[in-house]
Amino acid sequence: MTRLDGSMMTDAARGSDEPAIEVRGLRFAYPGAEAPVLEGLDWAVPQGAFALLVGGTGSGKSTLLSLLKPEIAPAGERTGELLVLGENVADMDVRASAERVGYVFQDPENQIVCETVWHEMAFGLENLGMSRDEMRRRVAETSYFFGLEDWLHRDTDTLSGGRKQLLSLAAVLALRPRVLLLDEPTSQLDPVAEKIFMHALFRVNRELGCTVVVATHQPRPMLEYATYAYRIKGGRVREAVDLASLGSREGLLALDSCRPAQGAATSAAAAIREGWFRYDRAGGWVLRGLDVAFSAGVVHAVVGGNGCGKSTMLSVLAKTAKLQRGRMVRGTASAALLPQNPKALLVAETVRDELMEWASTCGYDEAVAQERAASLGLSGLDGRHPCDLSGGQRQLLALAKLLLIGPELLLLDEPTKGLDLASRCIIARALREHAQAGGTVIMATHDLDFAEQVADEIAMMFDGEIACVEPPTDFFAENVFYRA
Amino acid sequence: MGVPVDITREESGSEPVAAFSMSHPAVPALYMVLTLGLTMFSMQPVLIALSLAGGLAYGFATRGAARTLGALRWQLPVILIIALVNPLFSASGSTELFRIGMRAVYLESMVYGLCMGGLFVASVLWFEAAASMLSYDKVLALFGNAAPVVALMISMCMRLIPQFLRRGRTVLAVQDAIDVPGRAPADPVRSRLRASSVLMGWGMEDSLERADAMRSRGWGAATRRTTYARYRLGRGDVAALVGLAAFGAAAVAVAWVATTQYSFYPQLSVPAPWPGYVVYAAWMALPCVLHAVDEKRFG
Repeated sequence: MTRLDGSMMTDAARGSDEPAIEVRGLRFAYPGAEAPVLEGLDWAVPQGAFALLVGGTGSGKSTLLSLLKPEIAPAGERTGELLVLGENVADMDVRASAERVGYVFQDPENQIVCETVWHEMAFGLENLGMSRDEMRRRVAETSYFFGLEDWLHRDTDTLSGGRKQLLSLAAVLALRPRVLLLDEPTSQLDPVAEKIFMHALFRVNRELGCTVVVATHQPRPMLEYATYAYRIKGGRVREAVDLASLGSREGLLALDSCRPAQGAATSAAAAIREGWFRYDRAGGWVLRGLDVAFSAGVVHAVVGGNGCGKSTMLSVLAKTAKLQRGRMVRGTASAALLPQNPKALLVAETVRDELMEWASTCGYDEAVAQERAASLGLSGLDGRHPCDLSGGQRQLLALAKLLLIGPELLLLDEPTKGLDLASRCIIARALREHAQAGGTVIMATHDLDFAEQVADEIAMMFDGEIACVEPPTDFFAENVFYRA
Repeated sequence: MGVPVDITREESGSEPVAAFSMSHPAVPALYMVLTLGLTMFSMQPVLIALSLAGGLAYGFATRGAARTLGALRWQLPVILIIALVNPLFSASGSTELFRIGMRAVYLESMVYGLCMGGLFVASVLWFEAAASMLSYDKVLALFGNAAPVVALMISMCMRLIPQFLRRGRTVLAVQDAIDVPGRAPADPVRSRLRASSVLMGWGMEDSLERADAMRSRGWGAATRRTTYARYRLGRGDVAALVGLAAFGAAAVAVAWVATTQYSFYPQLSVPAPWPGYVVYAAWMALPCVLHAVDEKRFG
């Protein structure tokens, strides 16, 4: 097999001791910003490395990666030298950059361009004006490597998030880059899809010899594949010597915000009795005789794999889907649903207008809104456009909007998807406070860490039914395979 | 014995049953262009009947009796309505049937209307056949080389429309899920307006990221894009094209002769038996025959 780095035959000729990425004295400032994001940054990644670039939101890790791709580099003031495989990035044209450096973005929805899987695979090749025969060969080869020939003719829109992201990786690999940059590639995926993606990436690295750099704020699931880790902090990059130390689990709640005594809950906030639901007659049952009750004043977490019916159950509880058989009873006066993507809730031009959208219909005033925003760490963002916020801030803004209308029952679909530690801590606190004030929280989540630390009760859903309901300690003590 | 598991492909995009499915898309395209042209420009009762029969037969063969008959439920009334309405607009002919007020209704104009209705329904049937023979990726393969950017734009739209609709449903569902006492139920017009502005913001932001993803994969690198196509124009396809062109020329000649010799007004001419009709009938029956051959092959 020919490796992408050509190391099989021309090791010496190529001089593989030359680093894959070399950055010298980089300084970068966004236009209008007072302080530079990156300053005095020196960084070298050896060829064939599987490197992690760890840093929190706003640390500049995405900026650093995109500066290595001149066609997507942000506008701003830049000094210093960036070299990929010994070649200055500034001298690369679009073609050279596409053929040498691959880039995979965070959101699986947004980076897929074409309608069908095979066309998406060919998109980059078409851009380079490649002949049909060569394209056919590349698409065939790449499809076999990733084992996606079974869904080659599917519409991209019908794929799951994990498959979409795998397709994005394959489409980039069809261009045969020698360096692959990935910006939070698995943050939108569930844990199983994340494992599958990381494994494919591992094969790209070890079997093809492609240098891989993954920017992430949650390095834990990637540690077993990584050969190097770098931490970006204060505008500089340092090599993290101790890989294992990156795997520590973080506490989300301060110790004093303790949980209520077990068994304090009394009435049911919502219950489904023998609920059956499917989306259309031809499709299979999504909920199959679901029997579940959620007590009031408690944080409930519902966990389970993709397609187990978690989101559907939330829709039923939110009354946006109606059971075909069985009953849904809601004991609370009011309810609201936080969707997976907070963009579905954001409509205004500024953060302030966003918070005040329902002020008159739901009866709260500006002072209350400001207080709520501050408690969720959103103060000082009033005049910003919601699009300019980070993913975490956007999620917090959507949550603030819903909390302002004061729902007794708060339904959340994947509230911590793709969020960094700081945002997860804020959401954890907000949910606990909501329960302490007598509200009920039901969240569907893949984030077992979050469920363990925040929920009073964890329900595992499987095949349209609830497999078990237990307090977190019992739940994780009993589980052998499914744990944080 | 069943089909071995490694041959069946779960979840693969199933190709619809259609004639010419083993040929390069140019072959069904040529057939469909000629057939639609023949159908739409041959205003002659026998030719219309043949075309209608061919279209119906193909519908029965590929879409099944239930769906084809179901479509006839609206197609037959259309033929009748055009037949009845035409005499009211064109009062010409020589055989007066009856009078409505001052207007005479002539047999000739009623037959003309009947033929027009038949022609319309035959065209619809053949358009449906064309849709089954020329799926989207085949059209892309045909036009992709001539207009690669347009082809890509179509592909992008096909990708974005379902996403847009799905998101629209999500936005409305989230709005409906807000259930607070004392809050008036949202007026449907306003809630749709709000949903559309949410979708605008959402889509615009995504498009920035998509543009980056396109550029990072070499968008604009070549002066001319190429188009990946799953079809190769083989020798058999060329032979089929030549054969179809010759056969088609004969059918066009038949249609030309038959149409120019026929007149509805002032008096209906009576079509005589003529070997030319056999050629025309064979042309219209061609996809059905190919389908039957294919069916036989798979027992």
